[in-house]
Amino acid sequence: MGVETADDRCRNDKSACTDKRDMNDFSIIGKPTAMVDAAEKTTGAGKYTDDLSVPGMLVGKILHSPYPHARIKAINTSRAEKLEGVVAVATGKDAPNPYGILPVGHDEYPLALDKVRYVGDNVACVAAVSEAIAEKALELIDVEYELLPAYFDPEESMKAQTDLIHDNKPNNLEKDYHHAFGDPDKGFAEADHIAEARFIANEVTHAAMEPHSTLSSFELDPHTGKLGRLTVWSSTQVPYYLQHKLSLVLEMPMAQIRVIKPLVGGGFGGKSEVIPLEIIAAVAARKAQAPVKITYTREEVFWAHRGRPRTIIDLKTGITNDGRITCVKARVVQDGGAYCSYGVVTILYSGALLGALYDIPNIQYDGYRVLTNKPACGAMRGHGTVNVRFAFESQLDELAAKIAMDPAEIRQRNLLKPPCITVNGLRVQSYGLPECIEKTVERSGWKQRHGKLPKGRGLGIACSHYVSGAANSIIRSDMPHSTVNIKIDRDGGVVVYTGASEIGQGSDTMTAQVAAEVLGCSLARVRVIAADTDLTPIDIGSYSSRVTFMAGNATLRSAEDVKKRIAAAAAKKMNCAAEELVFRDDVVFKKGSAPPPAKRDQAEEVEVTQAGASVSGRVEGQILRGSLQQKRKDEGPKEWMTFEEAVVAAIDFHGALTGTGSYAPPPEARGGKHKGGGVGPSPAYSYSAQVAEVSVDEDTGEVTVHKVWAAHDCGRALNPVSVEGQIIGSVWMGMGQALTEEMIWKDGMLMNAGMLEYRSPSSVESPEVEPIIVESIDPEGPFGAKECSEGSLAATIPAISNAIYDAVGVRMHESPFTPERVLAALRAKRKDKALNLTEGVDPTDPTRFREHGGSLCFKGKGPERHALDPARRESPAVTRGAD
Amino acid sequence: MSLPQFRLLRPRAVDEAVAFLSKHGANIRVLAGGTDLIPSMRQKLFEPGYVLDLRGVAELRGIRPQASGAVEIGALTALSAIEKSQYLRQHFPVLTEATATVASPVLRNMGTLGGNICLDTRCLWYNQSLTWRKGCGFCIKKDGDLCHVAPGGTKCWAAFSGDTPPALLCLNAEIEIAGPTGSRRMPLQEFYTGDGENYRKLLPDELVARVFLPAESADYRGVYRKLRVRGSIDYPLAGVAVVMKRSNGHVSDARIAMTAVNPAPVLIQKAGEMLIGRSVDEALAEAAGDMAARTAKPLTTSALTPEYRREMIRVFTKRAVLAAANN
Repeated sequence: MGVETADDRCRNDKSACTDKRDMNDFSIIGKPTAMVDAAEKTTGAGKYTDDLSVPGMLVGKILHSPYPHARIKAINTSRAEKLEGVVAVATGKDAPNPYGILPVGHDEYPLALDKVRYVGDNVACVAAVSEAIAEKALELIDVEYELLPAYFDPEESMKAQTDLIHDNKPNNLEKDYHHAFGDPDKGFAEADHIAEARFIANEVTHAAMEPHSTLSSFELDPHTGKLGRLTVWSSTQVPYYLQHKLSLVLEMPMAQIRVIKPLVGGGFGGKSEVIPLEIIAAVAARKAQAPVKITYTREEVFWAHRGRPRTIIDLKTGITNDGRITCVKARVVQDGGAYCSYGVVTILYSGALLGALYDIPNIQYDGYRVLTNKPACGAMRGHGTVNVRFAFESQLDELAAKIAMDPAEIRQRNLLKPPCITVNGLRVQSYGLPECIEKTVERSGWKQRHGKLPKGRGLGIACSHYVSGAANSIIRSDMPHSTVNIKIDRDGGVVVYTGASEIGQGSDTMTAQVAAEVLGCSLARVRVIAADTDLTPIDIGSYSSRVTFMAGNATLRSAEDVKKRIAAAAAKKMNCAAEELVFRDDVVFKKGSAPPPAKRDQAEEVEVTQAGASVSGRVEGQILRGSLQQKRKDEGPKEWMTFEEAVVAAIDFHGALTGTGSYAPPPEARGGKHKGGGVGPSPAYSYSAQVAEVSVDEDTGEVTVHKVWAAHDCGRALNPVSVEGQIIGSVWMGMGQALTEEMIWKDGMLMNAGMLEYRSPSSVESPEVEPIIVESIDPEGPFGAKECSEGSLAATIPAISNAIYDAVGVRMHESPFTPERVLAALRAKRKDKALNLTEGVDPTDPTRFREHGGSLCFKGKGPERHALDPARRESPAVTRGAD
Repeated sequence: MSLPQFRLLRPRAVDEAVAFLSKHGANIRVLAGGTDLIPSMRQKLFEPGYVLDLRGVAELRGIRPQASGAVEIGALTALSAIEKSQYLRQHFPVLTEATATVASPVLRNMGTLGGNICLDTRCLWYNQSLTWRKGCGFCIKKDGDLCHVAPGGTKCWAAFSGDTPPALLCLNAEIEIAGPTGSRRMPLQEFYTGDGENYRKLLPDELVARVFLPAESADYRGVYRKLRVRGSIDYPLAGVAVVMKRSNGHVSDARIAMTAVNPAPVLIQKAGEMLIGRSVDEALAEAAGDMAARTAKPLTTSALTPEYRREMIRVFTKRAVLAAANN
């Protein structure tokens, strides 16, 4: 695997190869490049949404439900409205239109209309002159609730007959899918060994550094004097979806709404859909007739959630004696929370991405997305695949042990043979998994060390993969997923307009790199204007790791488009065919004739001054350059031109100099025709293999991760330092889910809604991560690139779990592997006195799904209500947790 | 979450501070480092009319070794200063070790020894926002009349979660309390009540001014072991401090204390005494661990199950005793 020749590439992708130079010879991409917004972020000069303010701006604060499931009988806001400093109090009636990120899941209201469905659900919003006054006003809103039985355990919730969470969802079942590919029965019949077990992955959330924030401001319509256009600044991954949902709820045309995405401090999927505050801020601004900003507290971020659902996976895998997988059967139940969110997509990804990693001839999948009275789960890094991957890779390890095969080898025996289409309809072209396994095995000393380390220390291996963008957008259509415009003017500056949302992952830098590479100009010439619905053409957002592949391709096409115009004009000046021209290092020259060295130096000099942001020299330089250009223009045909000369020539020739390009996934990558077949297909998949080295303290159950070797096939690394950052970040986030992070519930109360008790790893326990970049050069990716931000996460959890097995011989079936779970497992193995975690729960063999996390065992009755609390007086038949 | 409105008082001397306390009684909170008070105020656990900012009282800052070998430490001394003190490291290593585990480096720069001694007891049902607490109907420690961790109980079980007090208890530390009628000294052991709600014996017009480490406690071997999920930031889920003196291979004196598993830090008299006169081996250390675990009463006040935390008191005591004997 690895390097393809330029010719291979050109055969596969005509658009990327107007010049036939060696495709591995790049001047911009493939080199470690500082993020274009690094200085802003590191100096604190950069502006995030909460840093913004506009004149007359009010602070919005949201009243949340204290009950998990209740009918709202009455809301009286008059006391709050009378408080000095309060401008408006909005309730559900002020915007009674439902919305949701998926067309099939329009089940949310900005503020509850008749029912609240989780502790933290949105009831009312106060817009006031200060945060303190707004908070005080929240205390003055009188809400009369009628409590309803609540559901916290998905398996219990599925039995519900009455008091449904949503009236149109019988059995509180959001959606279920039943897929069979190949012949599962035959597959199991062919197996020599079958493993079957229940795995539970507890609920985790994104914990992005920046809490959600939205500022909404209406302009006055000059003709009517009423509220007119709406501008929204929001920390979002999906400005266009936000524009669309705002338009639905506010009943305004999309063209009247402008969404601007300032700097975003991390998303991880938590901002990949419309979050309640984004609409509430606009509803409140409309009612208050003044701009309103809402910034969530950390607790509210946890309630907004949209994280990875708790998942029960009943998994059965069959293999032959020589290690070939014959069949996989998975029954997956997801505790989805109170609203649909991305739930239908999540449950489909969980099944679809059983395929496309290994060659599995028969797959049976039964997925259930269940509603419960908790905050809605949604998309989170590795959307839908992570928990099932943990179960699958753990079970594969178990089966390898059964037939005494090296766990690395059993994975190598089940590789796909691309290009191919998997049994569930996923098209795989580039496939760097073999090289990923090979390299991690080699670098970690796997063959010499696995199974041979001293007791208490072990190595584990696991693999994973992810889509490079969903081949089908949420709203199915044939329209482009990304469009990019480029404008170049006589100053020689290249301005790229893209809707792609930089959320810290490097989207803007990637865009600048791709444009500069195609145009052969320096990076400093390129300015990226991104994610402003008035200025930039549509890009559907930063989710499903689609930006490099799709917006990258659109950028590449847009740059090719404008380059064609420049080349036509330059060719005329240089008396040659446009195809003969090479654009590189700010110079345009004929192929075969290297530009004069002096000119190359000059080009570099320009780059230096621009990179140093020396503005003073520029004005002068421009005048000089102008006269130089005029002089050179008069000289007649040339062997080479500077980039600026070529640009001026093109403007002379064409008038305005702009280019445009867009990307839509090819029809053959859009998947099978079965129900739900639209989720899972992608134009390309990334691949990852990881080896983790851990030690386990057998007295305390504490697990220490010493090192992780993580190989990731990202097609081509456009910016290697950024790819490495993404790999390290994925491993670290995966380690959090593996060892420490879980949301702990008691009767619908989130017990750890803060960064102190929700324990993301700190720098102290972050292991050394050795990122290994594998480049499989995808035939359709921009310069062969695929995704690198999500695919690595899923491998970390089973790699650690398998390493625990290698270290101390216990197989963890429930994540996170907290010290007490590991200790309980060790005791069970040694047949020591049992450590009672929660009744009936064995982390190596969990049978029951508990309403609250295993790390916190409440043997009591759950939250009693205050004496004055109606809940206590009426004592409704609230379904208690299964403990 | 906004801070409640309050007036900030900034005394320069202890007398002045005490005068403010006398004047405002229950309507005032003391701020030393603010690392616990400020988040708690945002959660509306405290809404005092006045906040007494002690940071201008210079006389309460500093580590002062005496000729006798005793040490006086001002209550306002930053935890990072204690952590970095060579003198303390050499003569009272258990305190250095315990201090170095508090929260994170940044918080230790702000947090003070006095603050750590006076640290409010903690519970998952208590350290939550006002909105959250409303959802659970409040609790006995704040605004309510129920305990969620010991249903039906009338006592608060919020856990004392300071790291330095078990070390100080092992060192037989005393504290000086300043009040309107002058100052009084008491052994730290008598400072805590064992009730999570009114966890310390401090009148509203008093403040902890100084900590004294007696000369007799100097030069003990000392070890602190802390259970936490993360290597930094976390409060202890269980903590054990051990000090020990040996002669001729036998333990001549030893004390063991623990934290985070009861509403007060606890000196486990019997566990320390059983080591005296004997040479430490696995079995003896194990026995001390069993003794400590029996004294621990962890409840569901924090992450990790009470069973596990009690078990870890056993393991950590054993390890700390062995480490103290062997280092």
